[in-house]
Amino acid sequence: MKLHVEDVFAVLVVLSFSAFLVGYLELFSGFFAIFLVISTFLKGQLISDYFMDLREVDYKYRLIPTLWLVVVLSLIGVAYMLPISA
Amino acid sequence: MSEILVDKKNYPPGDFAIWIIVYVELLTFGLLFVGYAYSRRVNLQMFNDSQLLLNQTIGFINALILITSSYLIVRGVETIKTMQVRHSYEASIRASKWLLSAMMLGGIFLILKLSEFSNLFAQGITLSTNTFFMFYLLLTMFHFMHVTLGVIILYNLYHKTKNQGYIPTDCRGLETGAIYWHLVDLLWIVLFPLIYIMR
Repeated sequence: MKLHVEDVFAVLVVLSFSAFLVGYLELFSGFFAIFLVISTFLKGQLISDYFMDLREVDYKYRLIPTLWLVVVLSLIGVAYMLPISA
Repeated sequence: MSEILVDKKNYPPGDFAIWIIVYVELLTFGLLFVGYAYSRRVNLQMFNDSQLLLNQTIGFINALILITSSYLIVRGVETIKTMQVRHSYEASIRASKWLLSAMMLGGIFLILKLSEFSNLFAQGITLSTNTFFMFYLLLTMFHFMHVTLGVIILYNLYHKTKNQGYIPTDCRGLETGAIYWHLVDLLWIVLFPLIYIMR
């Protein structure tokens, strides 16, 4: 699906606002931690594809920022989800 | 000829060197982000208490500023890439205005960040206060330096664009500067929820 850059901008604003709301309303649980990780991945992918204009270039160039997002955000997600032993 | 065009399309926009810089920066910041997340597990209460001293609203406003400035730069680059030769003056002026707006937003980001830093320093918080603030100051000051460099780059792009220095077939410098600014935006997109929001 090809989005217009205005649509991408609107999605980025909405997702950032929803992240802010999670903090503002103090909605701290495993569900919201996963929500923040996934929404951050979506935002990063949109910036990489539409702002950096990588969506139509050779796959290997496009894959590096995607892999970075997947690896870093997965490790962050695991760090927040794993139980902490006393 | 067609082979050359196909090859060019397969490459990312901007100079190849900027992509090396992008990947190195992503790796560096990625290690710091993961280091923060796992250090937090060692002293959860201290991280949560320290996080309360940060201003989430300013963090969010800064996220909006960087997203908006990135969008404005996309519009600026698009204006140059789609301009017609007979309207090159008008298109260059229009593109330079997009870039100037993005640069001004970058300036506002820096002012807000400075006010945040000065507020924390006034409370006696330094790099050695605790592990949370060590990570917070390291990450945000490192990012602050990137934004500062980005604003300088945007200023140069603005001047060259205003003086009709870019045309659709020769705007690699503009694309390179734009990619750097989007990198700065991408880093804040991860930094903001991680440091300001997630608990």
